Amino acid sequence: MLQGFLLGLSTGATCLAYCAPVLFPYLLGEAKSIRQTAWTLSRFMLGRLLGYLVFAVFAWLTGNYLNTLTDRREMLIGFIYILLATLLLWYGLGQTSVPCAAGSLRGFAATLAQERPALFPLLLGLFTGLNLCPPFLLAFIAAGENSTLGHSLLFFLSFFAGTALFFLPAPLLGLGKNVSQLKNVGRLAAAVMSVYYFYSGLLLLWGGMISS
Amino acid sequence: MNAFAANREWKKALLFSLPMLLISGLLFLSGKPLTNPAKLAPAVITFLFINITFFCMIYTGQTHKYRSRFFILASLLFVVSFIANLIEVRGTMELSAANMLDGETPLCPLVIPMLIIPAALTHTIIFPGSLFAAHAGVAPMLVLWLGFSLAVGRGWCSWICFFGGMDEGFSRLCRKPKITAVDSKWTALPWAVLLGIVLTSAATLSPTYCAWLCPFKTVTEFPAIESAKTALQAVIFSSLFIGLVVVLPILTGRRTQCSLFCPFGAFQSLFNKINIFAVRINRADCVNCNLCLQKCPTFSLDEQSLQAGKTLLSCTKCGKCIDICPKKAIAFHIKGTPLHLNLQTARVLYLYPAFTFAAVIGGGCIYGGLERIFRLAVTGSMIH
Repeated sequence: MLQGFLLGLSTGATCLAYCAPVLFPYLLGEAKSIRQTAWTLSRFMLGRLLGYLVFAVFAWLTGNYLNTLTDRREMLIGFIYILLATLLLWYGLGQTSVPCAAGSLRGFAATLAQERPALFPLLLGLFTGLNLCPPFLLAFIAAGENSTLGHSLLFFLSFFAGTALFFLPAPLLGLGKNVSQLKNVGRLAAAVMSVYYFYSGLLLLWGGMISS
Repeated sequence: MNAFAANREWKKALLFSLPMLLISGLLFLSGKPLTNPAKLAPAVITFLFINITFFCMIYTGQTHKYRSRFFILASLLFVVSFIANLIEVRGTMELSAANMLDGETPLCPLVIPMLIIPAALTHTIIFPGSLFAAHAGVAPMLVLWLGFSLAVGRGWCSWICFFGGMDEGFSRLCRKPKITAVDSKWTALPWAVLLGIVLTSAATLSPTYCAWLCPFKTVTEFPAIESAKTALQAVIFSSLFIGLVVVLPILTGRRTQCSLFCPFGAFQSLFNKINIFAVRINRADCVNCNLCLQKCPTFSLDEQSLQAGKTLLSCTKCGKCIDICPKKAIAFHIKGTPLHLNLQTARVLYLYPAFTFAAVIGGGCIYGGLERIFRLAVTGSMIH
């Protein structure tokens, strides 16, 4: 659970930096007071949480499926960790661009915002949550390691809590000015955490080789 | 300057230096006369060096030049005294599991950001040191760090940090930088490392930066190399030392470890927000020559900040930009006061706390190192 929280914390800055251009104009444009902003943000975060929980179920199903494929599960997970950690490093240091999923829904979003204003922040949260970036994929694999659905859900719940910390104070901080620097910090933090996951992958692989 | 004015300046500088003479005397010599002749010579040299440095700063109006010499010397002699002490006490620079269990490790300030979350959650200090040990115990070091941080903010990194002195020393070996362009995105790396080590330390309840990344273990103490894991750790920290503290500073002329990697430096930057001292650029006098921007050792100025008349949050208040500005448009400043007023007063008010702490810590390092060197000269060995 703590691992999920930490992964969430390490990737939260990036999530925020990428999705802020979608989220903040809406938040700042719609809400009139702090109370209203908090209410809108709550619905946005609820949508995000729902997206994560759906992924938790998929992660658990994938983990179970991997169990049926091979009896060398540790080695396989270790290998995937190494692969994704490398991807995370490339994502952190390279010039890659992983756009926010909600960014591609601008046309649909405008219609929805007019017709269903109460539902809009919820769906916005859901789509910004479903982002297939390397940190998210790592969370997916880590959650898939859990043997029960409950554990997998808890993992994504803690991952959500980690990323949420970055979103909560953002509207009050005037973050818009420093998005570029925050993006750098988030990406480089992802690169730093990739080393941790690479090492964990190596240990799993090594452990699997010894036990087999 | 005519003879009368020069005489007046000299007397004024002497007068301003008197408090430092008193403070350093009280702090450094503990108010007691030294009776041991083997300790007297290094003590007198250190005492004179501290006070001559401070007098020169006041008299010449140059901050960086004298601070840097003091800072680098303190850093080099810190290594001499620290290693000699380790060899004397343990016979090796290696730190065994037994040493850690006995809480023999002096608290390194770089650990502080990693202590906070575990201390809050588990009421445990995740460091193998003693809380009230006389030599760099956890509690006295925390008090010292907090006092200095409140007094001069990230000035810590240019006035007191004995590790920063090494970085600065190697960067000053570079007369003409071989690498002039460094992508500004790398200045975000210390924050990323800070985030990473705080999180992993909280997860593992161990100071992960010390175990895996701290480059300065190369010249202080390190866990005994007894397994593949500790060997890997040794390769990582020694590579980081060679790359970030030696090679890159020589190639860039900048303090690359301090400005592009050190998580404690990033953490310390936050204190610049609440500290009353800052470095400000008077836009009316600035001619946009960008010399300060090119020469800043810690990448703490960019075009945007220059236009805003401020340094970036990472400014270590080393005084280099102030010394080199051809138009004298940059100065130490007390927040809340008008820019063009009392520039010298602001500078002197900043120098007192900054140099007092530097004298306490750096002076101790210089004295310790000199004592070992004198012992080597007299007895042929640095250790008892």
